[in-house]
Amino acid sequence: MSSATPTKAAAPTRMQAFGTAFVSGGYTMYPVLLALVIVGAVVAPRFATSTNLINILEQISVLGLTTIGLTFVVLIGRLDLSLEGIVGFAPMFAAVCLVPAAAGGIGIELPSWMGLLIALGVAGVIGFFNGFMVVRVGLNPFISTLGLLVLLRGGVLIVSNGRSIYSPGPALTYLGSAKLFGLPVSVLVFGVVATIVGLVFKYHRYGRALYAIGGNEDAARAAGINVDRVIWSAFVFAALLAGLAGILMTGRLDSAVTTQGQGIIFSAFAAAVIGGVSLGGGRGTMVGLVSGVLLIGVINNLLTLAQVPSFYVQASTGAVIIIAAVLTTIASRRSSGVKTRT
Amino acid sequence: MENIRPIVEMRNISKTFGSTRALKGVDFTVMHGEVHALLGRNGAGKSTLVSTMSGLVASDTGTIRIDNTEVVANGLPYAAKIRNDIAHVQQTPQLFNLLTVAENLFLENPLVQKKFGMVSHSLMLSKARALLDKWNMDIRAEALAGELSAGIRQLLEIMKALSRGVPVIILDEPTAALSNAEKKMLFEQVKSLKALGISFIYISHHLDEIFEVADTVTILRDGLVVKEREAVGNLNVELIADLMMGEKTARSVRSDHTRYDAPVLLEAKGVGLYPVTEAGVDFQVRPGEIVALAGPVGGGKEALAMMLSGQLTPYKGKISGANDTLPTIGLVPTDRHASGYVGILGVRENVAIGGLDLLSGTFGFIDRKKEAAHVGTLARQTNVIAASLEQAVSQLSGGNQQKVVFARALCHNPQVVVALSPTRGVDVGAKEQLYALLRDLASKGLGVVVVSDEEDEIAQLANRVVIVFEGKIVAELRGDYTMKDLILRMEGVI
Repeated sequence: MSSATPTKAAAPTRMQAFGTAFVSGGYTMYPVLLALVIVGAVVAPRFATSTNLINILEQISVLGLTTIGLTFVVLIGRLDLSLEGIVGFAPMFAAVCLVPAAAGGIGIELPSWMGLLIALGVAGVIGFFNGFMVVRVGLNPFISTLGLLVLLRGGVLIVSNGRSIYSPGPALTYLGSAKLFGLPVSVLVFGVVATIVGLVFKYHRYGRALYAIGGNEDAARAAGINVDRVIWSAFVFAALLAGLAGILMTGRLDSAVTTQGQGIIFSAFAAAVIGGVSLGGGRGTMVGLVSGVLLIGVINNLLTLAQVPSFYVQASTGAVIIIAAVLTTIASRRSSGVKTRT
Repeated sequence: MENIRPIVEMRNISKTFGSTRALKGVDFTVMHGEVHALLGRNGAGKSTLVSTMSGLVASDTGTIRIDNTEVVANGLPYAAKIRNDIAHVQQTPQLFNLLTVAENLFLENPLVQKKFGMVSHSLMLSKARALLDKWNMDIRAEALAGELSAGIRQLLEIMKALSRGVPVIILDEPTAALSNAEKKMLFEQVKSLKALGISFIYISHHLDEIFEVADTVTILRDGLVVKEREAVGNLNVELIADLMMGEKTARSVRSDHTRYDAPVLLEAKGVGLYPVTEAGVDFQVRPGEIVALAGPVGGGKEALAMMLSGQLTPYKGKISGANDTLPTIGLVPTDRHASGYVGILGVRENVAIGGLDLLSGTFGFIDRKKEAAHVGTLARQTNVIAASLEQAVSQLSGGNQQKVVFARALCHNPQVVVALSPTRGVDVGAKEQLYALLRDLASKGLGVVVVSDEEDEIAQLANRVVIVFEGKIVAELRGDYTMKDLILRMEGVI
């Protein structure tokens, strides 16, 4: 590439170049992850079995999809707390539309195949509303999505009358419960979404626009990018992915639970930050994001296997988040010399 | 008599910014109770000189004495030492938008402070009202500063400085945002304070103001004093313009590639600028033409450029191109740090965002080969110097950052380039390269619109200069205009 430039400024050494590429590519946490897996395999014999590893993957697929959704809006320097509400509300709304009134439905008993469409449709509408509030009304996304989060929590209780809905039908539960080629479909869904979105982030013009807007919104505007449309659509994509995550969760439990998704937005932020996604916008990769999600999954699994009391599991997850965030921030500062806020 | 001793004495002041020597050993003296005008072209060092005086910028060498406070400058900050001797009113008001008028006026003012740093609110309000009355200003002391007009804000800034009771006040382009009535008010206050023995250093681009309000004049050119403490009566406009311009005959290297026979590329018809005028503005760009938009800050030249580039929708009138289709336009924004480049991204990504649709293929995915080739070509064309095309733009020098912004503007193969302050904060070498680039683009048939405050820049580039003032086009220079013509029109004398 440097052949394009007539004179070279001080060229970095090979080692530095590797370090920079390693960090900016999002690989920072993989050595840590590898070490954890090795430690886990030694300490807990049950850890390194294929059943357990698949179990981990299945557990993180919901968090993973939510984190990918969150990353859409975080890349453009915004945030969306309502994703947590969507994880609970979208499948619940679909469920009450499907099941008979006797099972807790609202009595319209739509055909079962519509379940997936309704859930994603509701999620999409919520995302569109979020985009409208931020782009057109000009609200700070923190406050507008916080309000919506609380509203959706209440909305779940209203549409379900406070009761969980069991067996909402195969269309809604297939993705979260079935297996293909010996792997849970939810893991495959997560894998496919992560791959496609990863490619979009890196190689698609939409992904480039996300990074440009997160890095400097005014510059993106001056470059001719339709900034408002990109911001708006990012909120829609985020909500759709959160809706999909909710569907997987409902499938795994074979029921839409009223408390579904509670607390997931914090884990999603943690996974994103651990994976090197900058909360200031403009920085973050799919490779890194996945490492953050995996790290949280592995730690939770290990602590459970080691029979650590659940109170300690929560506290230690928090500690790990802080340590990982510090590591990521230091690594990215060292490698690029550019300050980032995580 | 103490008045014989000057109130301000600066000796051998010099200041270097990066590779630019803004001041080269300047001596400057102000007497008690005089209005001393400081003149010079853009970049002559006026603002730097007064900034070293107030400590806003620390001088590298020399001594500064204001009243009884003396500072030996060595590049370290000294603003705190002379804070009680001088007030500096900057070009843009430095008010707190979310505080009230009264709070802004008496911020950190000992007059309203009580024990333990508590501030008396009622005292502050009554004092603020008295002050507003004295200036005949019809605004409430409780109004938020952010709600006020630009002119009122500028006056408040001046009142704040005056109410601190310091013996020396710097007014750096105080009238830029003022209406004629507000100007009169300001001049009256300046004259009455002068009678009380207060001294003013007055910077303005409007020579008529100098003749109205100033007693003595010092003229700077290229960081040196070319006329020291001349009585204003001994000067006239011609003389001042000659002194500001200097002996050097700026050899014009501009060349004219305008294709007068070709259809107009981009046209504004009856477009309304700010300040609002009745008629609106007509403006045309032809292929191969370099047009400069010049005139005082806030006169509307930036607004016209932003409307031409499609970043701002005119509230009246129409922007159009040949056959009613808008040409593709590349924009170089005025402030590259704020809206030019994305610092955390590399050169390649920064350039590519200027033409994402051009570089993307199937399903909107970027064609990596095409991208590498196109960005490489643009980087060579604009002479970007970087370790690699992946280097973060925030790590590049100012000149190279600006070249990246140019490359981005060209990424979409534009037919018209609109460049605002194209070489602001760029070193001399990069400046020449950017001028050459703009001329080259014009020779290839692009229309180029340059917005600039620098006479040299305009003289080197523009085949046509359009002066925009108070929302109107007030003058136009074509072909063989002289530097003198240009300066006098830009200063608003003619």
